Amino acid sequence: MVMRVVASLIDRARARAAPVDKEARSMHGVAQPRRVMDQKLAALASLDALLLAVQRGSRAALERLYELESRRLYGIALRITRRPDLAADALQDAFVQVWQNAASFAPERGNAAAWLTGILRFRALDLVRKLGRETPSDDPALGDRADEPDMAAAIDLRLAASALRRCLEALEEKQRRCIILAFVDGLSHAEIAARLPAPLGSVKSWVRRGLLSLRSCLES
Amino acid sequence: MIPDTSEELHILAGEYVLGVLEPGAAREVEAALPHHAELRRAVAFWQERLQPLAMLAPPAEPPPGLWQRIESALAPGAAPARPAGLWQSLALWRAATAAAAAVAAGLALYVALAPAAGPAYVAVLHAPQQVQPAFVATGSSGGLLLRAVAEAQPPGDRGFELWAIPPDAKPKPLGVIPPTGRIELGASPLALGAGTTLAISIEPKGGSPTGQPTGPVVFVGTLLPAK
Repeated sequence: MVMRVVASLIDRARARAAPVDKEARSMHGVAQPRRVMDQKLAALASLDALLLAVQRGSRAALERLYELESRRLYGIALRITRRPDLAADALQDAFVQVWQNAASFAPERGNAAAWLTGILRFRALDLVRKLGRETPSDDPALGDRADEPDMAAAIDLRLAASALRRCLEALEEKQRRCIILAFVDGLSHAEIAARLPAPLGSVKSWVRRGLLSLRSCLES
Repeated sequence: MIPDTSEELHILAGEYVLGVLEPGAAREVEAALPHHAELRRAVAFWQERLQPLAMLAPPAEPPPGLWQRIESALAPGAAPARPAGLWQSLALWRAATAAAAAVAAGLALYVALAPAAGPAYVAVLHAPQQVQPAFVATGSSGGLLLRAVAEAQPPGDRGFELWAIPPDAKPKPLGVIPPTGRIELGASPLALGAGTTLAISIEPKGGSPTGQPTGPVVFVGTLLPAK
């Protein structure tokens, strides 16, 4: 409710400022009052409200979304692609897609952060599957295999006491590793098989069984 | 093949969200999503529940200037284009068209209705995020008349196609709109009634090759009973 109110505030502000904006746009380099108004409101808004404002065509809301989410999303893209250039492309593609597809976001169907993560991951996976992943380097900043043994510690630190953590811990070790390597590192079945190493068929069935157990645990 | 059992459906959705499906299988899931509510729910479930795992990737500073790149990749001054999975956002349009209801009710008084056979309906079609009418449709079970009320032409090598979308059903093609912007349909095999959404999409000349909209929906409106 609150976010709808904020989004409609943004709209009303836009409507009020629209005539001024037309003038401002015709004069290059002159400050645009609508932009300022938009930005003030966008600075206050939640991710949900920002996405609803993007649905209505607010560039300022998209820009604010970028300010709030780009570091998190770029980190995810970098982890999947392991290449700064591809990670930047993935982030760019994702934001263009957010702009174009904002209408398909519905707050009652899921939270905004998960929706954004989904878009970004698919863009990053697309790029990496098309252009290939660089052979893992030793650069720890790119999140290479060196940090994998610490995965359990990372889960400990970052997931705190969530249902997901409890349910991941309940999985068999192999199933858990497969699901994390797929989701966090964006590895395909074959790449997981090479990484573990393990037969491809086993990896496929660990992923399946891991998903099954995870679902029944998360839903219980 | 989208599986029938709930268990297999959730595994498929989970594999899709993880990103481990082969490209062909992933495309199949994407194609099924707009029409498959349970699959949509299953994908949303995984997207939502696995989301905290994404925190295992540490945040990092994107290269400077990336926002400017994004901004210039968006068409200058353009409003968001309609989404690719546009039929999913039907609920949104239906809400948007509610705003035009008052306009439609007013227009009904002035628009000559097609010869009445059964109850008469009227719809005002407008761009999804605007209120200015572009087309007005009047009809009854005996037929439907659509007329342009503003200058609206499809891009050069394309045409406008009219669709009827009954509540909770897939779009049904009604016909390609000629350049005059006027199309008259005889007794419709569809039960056109209150709540049916009319939509106009941009399609190849001659109409959509698939029988479902393939291009963006540019105008939309809902049929309302005329007094």
